[in-house]
Amino acid sequence: MIFPFTAIVDQDEMKLALILNVIDPNIGGVLIMGEKGTAKSTAVRALADLLPEIDVVKGCRFNCAPEGPFCSDCIEKLNKNGSIEIEKKKMRVVELPLGVTEDRVVGTLDIEYAIKKGEKRFEPGILAEANRNFLYIDEVNLLEDHIVDLLLDSAAMGVNTVEREGISFIHPAKFILVGTMNPEEGELRPQLLDRFGLCVQVNSLTDKNLRIEVLKRKAEFDDNPEEFFKKWDSEQQILVRKIIKAKENLKNIKIDDSALSFVVDITCQLNLDGHRADIVMLKAARAFAAFNGKNGITQEDIKAVAPFTLRHRLKRLPFEDISQEVDKLNAILETI
Amino acid sequence: MQYLKQFKIKFSDFVGQENARLALLLNLIEPACGGVLLAGKKGTGKSTLLKAFKEIVKALNMPFIELPMNSTEEAVLGGIDIEETIKTGERRFQKGLLSKADGGFLIIEDINLFPHDLLSIVFEVQSRGENIVEREGITLRESANFQILATMNPEEADFSSHFLDRFGMCVIMDNIIDKEKRKEIIRLNFSRELQIAEDISLIEKIIKSKEFIKKIKVIDEITEFISEVVLKEAVLSHRADIFLLYASKAYAAYFGDNFVKKKHVITVAPLVLNHRKKLLHQQPEYEPEHQFDNSQSSERNDEEQKNKNQTPSRIDEDHEHGKSQNTPSSEKEDVFPVGESYKIRKFFFRKDRTLRQSTGRRTKTKTKGRAGRYVRSLLHKRNDIAIDATVRAAAAFQKIRGMKDLLIIKEEDLRYKEKEKRMSHTVVFVVDGSGSMGVEQRMIQTKGAILSLLMDCYQKRDKVSMILFRKDRAETILPPTSSHELALKRLREIPTGGKTPLSAGLMEAYRLIRRMAIKEPESRFLILLITDGKANVSLTGKTVFDELRSICFMLSNLTSVDFIVIDTEKKNKFMKIDFAVKIAEWLQAKYFLIEELKSESLLGIVKTFKI
Repeated sequence: MIFPFTAIVDQDEMKLALILNVIDPNIGGVLIMGEKGTAKSTAVRALADLLPEIDVVKGCRFNCAPEGPFCSDCIEKLNKNGSIEIEKKKMRVVELPLGVTEDRVVGTLDIEYAIKKGEKRFEPGILAEANRNFLYIDEVNLLEDHIVDLLLDSAAMGVNTVEREGISFIHPAKFILVGTMNPEEGELRPQLLDRFGLCVQVNSLTDKNLRIEVLKRKAEFDDNPEEFFKKWDSEQQILVRKIIKAKENLKNIKIDDSALSFVVDITCQLNLDGHRADIVMLKAARAFAAFNGKNGITQEDIKAVAPFTLRHRLKRLPFEDISQEVDKLNAILETI
Repeated sequence: MQYLKQFKIKFSDFVGQENARLALLLNLIEPACGGVLLAGKKGTGKSTLLKAFKEIVKALNMPFIELPMNSTEEAVLGGIDIEETIKTGERRFQKGLLSKADGGFLIIEDINLFPHDLLSIVFEVQSRGENIVEREGITLRESANFQILATMNPEEADFSSHFLDRFGMCVIMDNIIDKEKRKEIIRLNFSRELQIAEDISLIEKIIKSKEFIKKIKVIDEITEFISEVVLKEAVLSHRADIFLLYASKAYAAYFGDNFVKKKHVITVAPLVLNHRKKLLHQQPEYEPEHQFDNSQSSERNDEEQKNKNQTPSRIDEDHEHGKSQNTPSSEKEDVFPVGESYKIRKFFFRKDRTLRQSTGRRTKTKTKGRAGRYVRSLLHKRNDIAIDATVRAAAAFQKIRGMKDLLIIKEEDLRYKEKEKRMSHTVVFVVDGSGSMGVEQRMIQTKGAILSLLMDCYQKRDKVSMILFRKDRAETILPPTSSHELALKRLREIPTGGKTPLSAGLMEAYRLIRRMAIKEPESRFLILLITDGKANVSLTGKTVFDELRSICFMLSNLTSVDFIVIDTEKKNKFMKIDFAVKIAEWLQAKYFLIEELKSESLLGIVKTFKI
């Protein structure tokens, strides 16, 4: 039993950032920064309950989408039968443990099988499971360096190409990266930071009443999880329906020139690297507008998502503090 | 479901980055152009551009092979095809990636994050144009003529200039500042219709150019002009001339000119020469202005302002006292700003024999885990079975064992992989903060050097620690940490003033390493002593000289510690002590003058980036 998403007290920015990613997976994930015990992991794990179903190729180990791109297996199937069957599957939150080895991430040759049967077989890794799902890394800043490199490599291309031990295998690996980190434990490389669509900061609640509420709900949940879940079920259902509606609404939202100009005005002032910030900001604003049932993007929508799309992209040296730049960002948002 | 539509940008629709697109096209027309390195910060469209380019290469039926970071050596070069070998009972080989790329392109994303050894293999094969494999019982010769298209983000890790020179062209992909263009880029990313139509006209033009280039003449005048251009840009490598010639030819072909003209050469010269230039004029020696220009936080501005306000006063004082400030009073304290940073020269350390679970990028080590490069097979049990060697060992006995359709493998056939990998060190900076370091603003330059060393440690993923010695004691102002952010903070705060208790600094380093070695027995340490050698405080009753000698002896007896001494003493003066040289001798350390830390290699791309 997982603690229900809607029962998490406050932490609205974190919840919103996660919901926006469910609405539009192309936003590219969330990095949740905050000290210990601020419901970071709870929120991510609770997200699984809200996830919609997606169409996948039947029996595919990599959740290939019916319209492609396809893995080596599906391509073979297509060439043989000319068509593929489709089934529905619920999206998942796949966890990447910290002590993971290289071959467990990318997949490898099934050695035992090769020696016993004398045939080559590809044993899928975590990237395969994570395709079209959420890939969750707890304490992402403690991840080993070469694993980070591998993740960056496949995140850049959206595919995982495996060339090891005489195995050549390609499968799509497009995952929504969700990470949590406690900045006190060390920082994250800028290149990996940039791969996270959004970045939210969570703090412990200081309001006494809210803290009491947290305690109460947790105790209630621990006493009788099923009962607690039933109690929150209607809230959960309302949110799930809202998300499904927003997903449908997403493609009806117009992107007009004024919204583009507004985004570019902000990013140009901040002198950021590359174009990811512009694109993500607009995608997040669009998802936000869809979530609120609107059919266009206003400046308010962009302002609302700006802090968590830009926070981690602000210009700095590889080892500098983020916090100072945030004030500058806020100042710019004030004046625009 | 809009999700995971294959988003394709057509090559001709790509906004901006004209140089990058031109470089790719020229390489498509003339394979002798020698490949392209796209260097740029994150999110500048490096990978996106390559994806768009892939469609064009495919339309021309040329191979476009991606080299993933997880590639093993067998996969790159080719090796035994186990399945076939077992089925047929004869040795069968399978093609490696490099042979598959023959006649086309090999794509290496984030080339600066790749293991150095893997890249060495790739470049070696490329320069030969042939893939020759000679490994335990395998002999393979296959044609492998390919061009390398690579991307890198210079912030992330260093890239050896030796490899850099192999690239025909290098394009810096910078940010696009033009607002209209930026909007266009966002629009492209939101365009929904699948772009199935190919760049027909462009592809036709390429095919024509590929034919046309055979007819193009290069007159002597142009060849001379090329050499002149290369020399003028102070480029040493002869590859530059050759690549420039072919690039100019391809450019002429693209525009349908029968002859290569000077204007063609001038247009493509930057693509070919950008990454080969040497630093022509050295930077002025102390620039209190560090290079975080336009991109800095307001806070840093304030601080710099403060420092700037501080330094003039300091200079005035110098003027008042005249220049002879050899024994500043121990009361005076200054906090100098951090000087200009630069690319650090390479330090090499020997391999040792310890097996480790290691990560990092500095020195090679044999690994316990499964990561790393497969060096050779062993009988000794390790984590990974070396299939090739195992199969070979078993193959000879199959008949005797009565093989039917399956290979019979016994315990004694098993072979294991020995692996090697790079590891990081724990770097302990032992910094002299005495008054003599403040003379003539030496400390600004020293801090600049430490900042540069810190950058180097970040790129090699080293842990860092800092010990400061001044007045009458030494203290660890930064315990070992992987937070380079924190290190930079401490560096800024380092005060200068007081006497020089050098032996106390070394003693503190000795204690720190003893403590750390118990906690992390696999660690390798590097002590960076930064001092002008003017030691004048002893801890015991001994003379400073004797005391230092005995501490150095203790330190040099520690295992898995390397030493570098960086001497900040001005050597052109009448008074020089050269005590740091003595200490380096006792520690068996590498010794550098602070001016020698700058990398003498080709101008690092990083420089042009103003990182």
